[in-house]
Amino acid sequence: MEYLTAVLLPQLLHGLVFGAALGLLALGLTVIFGLLGVMNFAHGELYMLGAYAGIAVIGVTHSFWVALILAPLLVGALGALTEVATLRPLYRRQPLYGLILTFGLALVFREGARQVWGGDMRRILPPITGSTPLLGMTYPNYRLFLLAIASVLLVAIWLFFTKTRAGVVVRAAVQDAEMLDGLGVNVPRVFTLTFAGSAALAALAGLLLAPVFTVYPQMGVEMILLAFIVVILGGMGSLGGSVVAAFVIGIAQSLLTLWMNPQRVAIAIFGIMILVLIIRPRGFFGREGVLE
Amino acid sequence: MRFKSLLALILAGAVIGGTTALAPAQGPKVVKIGDLGSKVGVFEGYGKYQSMAIQLAVEELNARGGVLGHTIEVIVEDDDTKPAPSVRKAEKLILQDDVKLLVGAVSSGATMAVMDVTKKHKVIHWNAVSCAEFMRTTKFHKYYFSNQPDSRMQANGLAKYILDKMGKRVYIFYTDYAMGQSDGRQFKTAIEKLGGEVVGVAGAPLDTKDFSPWFGDINAKNPEVVFLAFAGTDSLRLMTQLHSFGMTKKYRLAGIDCFLLQQDLPAIAEPMEGFVQLAHFSAYNPDKNMQAFNARFKKRFGVDANIMAGAYDGLMFWATAVEKAKSFDPDKVAGAMEGMCLDGTHVGRQCIRKEDHQVVMDMHLYQVRGGKNIPIAVVAGSDTIGEPMVGRDPVEGFTWEIKKKN
Repeated sequence: MEYLTAVLLPQLLHGLVFGAALGLLALGLTVIFGLLGVMNFAHGELYMLGAYAGIAVIGVTHSFWVALILAPLLVGALGALTEVATLRPLYRRQPLYGLILTFGLALVFREGARQVWGGDMRRILPPITGSTPLLGMTYPNYRLFLLAIASVLLVAIWLFFTKTRAGVVVRAAVQDAEMLDGLGVNVPRVFTLTFAGSAALAALAGLLLAPVFTVYPQMGVEMILLAFIVVILGGMGSLGGSVVAAFVIGIAQSLLTLWMNPQRVAIAIFGIMILVLIIRPRGFFGREGVLE
Repeated sequence: MRFKSLLALILAGAVIGGTTALAPAQGPKVVKIGDLGSKVGVFEGYGKYQSMAIQLAVEELNARGGVLGHTIEVIVEDDDTKPAPSVRKAEKLILQDDVKLLVGAVSSGATMAVMDVTKKHKVIHWNAVSCAEFMRTTKFHKYYFSNQPDSRMQANGLAKYILDKMGKRVYIFYTDYAMGQSDGRQFKTAIEKLGGEVVGVAGAPLDTKDFSPWFGDINAKNPEVVFLAFAGTDSLRLMTQLHSFGMTKKYRLAGIDCFLLQQDLPAIAEPMEGFVQLAHFSAYNPDKNMQAFNARFKKRFGVDANIMAGAYDGLMFWATAVEKAKSFDPDKVAGAMEGMCLDGTHVGRQCIRKEDHQVVMDMHLYQVRGGKNIPIAVVAGSDTIGEPMVGRDPVEGFTWEIKKKN
């Protein structure tokens, strides 16, 4: 019993916090994959730019909360510009073109950030300080806030896609863009706004996680691999699947650390993915015929 | 016919003229050296300052006429902080660029991999930052030299201070690759040998994002001191997260030589307050040799020097040895470097021990106060370097098993 409360439950909490953060990042990736049919390799860099945009906004306004609104808007605008200028001409081509393009964009964004802000690590102070006694330890209030806001955002995004007309239009575009075009919907605009929204979501995740993980040009590369695993595990293009997979990965990583050599934990995460794909080749919630 | 002759003459003239124009101008002779360091990622800062230290040495040497009448040219390559790319880049530097000295890499795993390349191609290899213990023991070869205090030297320098001044119950938390494992092995051995108790050990992978899953075990073991063997951005993240969990105030913290560069401290001053760190160089050390070097470095680059200044010494030792050997031949240069002493390095006079090519360096201990490394103690290099152990495991029979004290 003591092991449960003193060891297992705190690890579970760590896993939940990390899973929620990972879910935020992976969700934007899933939406773009569903929409464009390509893995957006630049998604990690949009996450990184969110943190740097946050630093820039905080530098001017001295407010994390203002940055939490402005930074995603700035990166969302950059996302819209990127979609119109680079991705749109490739929509009718093989998905490989989009893949190569986003890989190139990732390099441009990352090295651009290095030129502008330098390679040194930066730190954003958490806007919520202090800690709460919880499960036999003092748990940082900011992490609890992170868990709460990430959960609220995940629910809000789910509601957006299931309960609003705009969300239904995006899902329809994922299913059959030509049919949607035939119904008189401005599909290119849907694509642009969805890409912008996904970029803003990545930026939001980047800024929210910055006080915990710190900020440096390479930060997106290191998170994106896990986000890809989440998308594959959850089922390509499945929003709910991504959320579930993010928590599975977060909790598994946290709990396995208790019993395994850390290098083997990373291997075990891939092992979990392989195992799930053997049992369910389309991931947790991937559906036959969708994006195949 | 006359036209054809004229055309042939013009063409011949063009060929001869063109060839002459394309022929290389007879300029000063050049000798190349390789700077292999991390340019992006977890150890980016170390690679950046390594390049600056090398640049300063090259400028000073070239201003004196170069080495053996040759102007020194630096070829910079990114080691990607990984063994495989480091090996590729080292081979490129040696086989394509024909470098006569290779400085690098930054991560211990990469440096050990590069050692195989420099051994195979017989190139003088200087390590200025990697601190795994194996380089001057089981991996050692005759062309390898280092002025980075390795794990054994650091353990000998810091373990006694930890037990005397900080606490007897120590938890060792290390980054789980060559450097961290080596530091963990050496510190556990040294602490147990000196009568302290290692209450727990744990390793986290290089580039870990969230360290909190390991904090539960640290708290459960209730140590007095947490010894941290991390470096670069891992150290920054770890300290930020330890601080947010209230653990920087709960425990006394100590770390290895390359835990954080001085330049990183101001940004993380509050979590680092009171942290005890080994470092062979600090811009805040009143030592006149360090101050003199720092003044030159700051005049050139506008920033303080840090531990990566060791790369400067590598060039100075090599250039002096080349002049002494009157040759770039690696066997002759390596022979000249063995046992060599040199004044005017970044910490004053230094000597290379003949048996394992390790520079005998004093270990300076610092405590972070207000974002600055303030010196608190110094341990003589002769007391920390230990016996030469070429070809042997310095902690043979080591086990990570926790020995309970009654």
